[in-house]
Amino acid sequence: MSETTFMGVERDKIDWKPTIDYTKCDYCMECVKFCPHKVFEVRENEEIKLIVKNPHNCVVFCRACSKTCGPDALSFPDKNATTQKIKEIRKEKENNG
Amino acid sequence: MVENYAILPCNGLDKSAGIISRELALKLCENAQNEIICPVFYRVAEAKYNKIANEHPLLVIDGCLTRCASKIAMEKNLKISKKLTITEEAKNHNIELKSNLRLLENENALIEILLNGLNNAEDKVILFSDETKILYKFEYVTFQKDKFIFRLPKNPEIYFNENDCWAYVSGNRARIGVTDFVQQSLSDILYFTPPDIGIKIDQFGEFGEIESSKSVIELISPVSGKVISINETLIQKPELINENPYELGWIAELELTDFESDKELLIGFDEYFEIMKKKAEDKNG
Repeated sequence: MSETTFMGVERDKIDWKPTIDYTKCDYCMECVKFCPHKVFEVRENEEIKLIVKNPHNCVVFCRACSKTCGPDALSFPDKNATTQKIKEIRKEKENNG
Repeated sequence: MVENYAILPCNGLDKSAGIISRELALKLCENAQNEIICPVFYRVAEAKYNKIANEHPLLVIDGCLTRCASKIAMEKNLKISKKLTITEEAKNHNIELKSNLRLLENENALIEILLNGLNNAEDKVILFSDETKILYKFEYVTFQKDKFIFRLPKNPEIYFNENDCWAYVSGNRARIGVTDFVQQSLSDILYFTPPDIGIKIDQFGEFGEIESSKSVIELISPVSGKVISINETLIQKPELINENPYELGWIAELELTDFESDKELLIGFDEYFEIMKKKAEDKNG
């Protein structure tokens, strides 16, 4: 099971997920084998055989799957921007709550 | 100077990075007292290379992040002394690698750079002053899930992030590392890539990598600051992280730059203990 919040912020408000560059991906599926959070889904019979199925299962700030990617096809959002966004949401929540 | 090494390169013949790994290994063997291990032959006939591998420090050259050469080393229980990854080195040196399988200008330029770097490298001696060595011993609270024991130090000066890393703060400095959850998840840690001394790290920025036969993970810093020292013992003995990631297995020491702001996104013992328990339950359950 994955967390539903990260630092008190609802996970679906945080934009943190891998993006697959299909011009580079060779469908080796190392990322799928690695990720214990079921972020990816394999679609054997489709033309695009791998998708980011559950982006909100992705652990915020984790980029470990990209370290398994030989063709360097996975990218993530900017960490600083994400940190700032989380802080802003927390401040909003404090002010409203 | 890279000399007297056993060199285990990627030999991927269908990728430019593989061809570069092979060429770099050959050049290192031409010009110095190094011996090559052919990864293809090693897989099927290890007797030929076991002696070389066990008598020399091992340099692993991975072509890409699939890390085939590293994985072979780990399968064979070899201790890696030094390693590099061609695609990462190309990025670091702003050299674009294309799909050509013959060495052209870019590939040769990268080989020259790496060759010079390796041949001019002193065997790494890292100096840091005694004043940065905080000696301490923590009190632990433990939690057991099946055969796995998870320890967590209880101390008001130790902060955690939800990415399973800790910071022990003392004045304007902090020692940082990973929690038991990380080392239990990875199992035997076989290689440690430290952060460079002197670099600045943002909160949630990377402060090195650790690698086991299962995976490689980047370490996510709980605090922002400048790296003033690293635990050099881990380069030879990364297994200390498994033994105790809070004391002898610490990773780096930072001079803090914005701790008051960092604290907003840090948690203490009580909160992290519950998170670690839940993660452990989910993982094994």
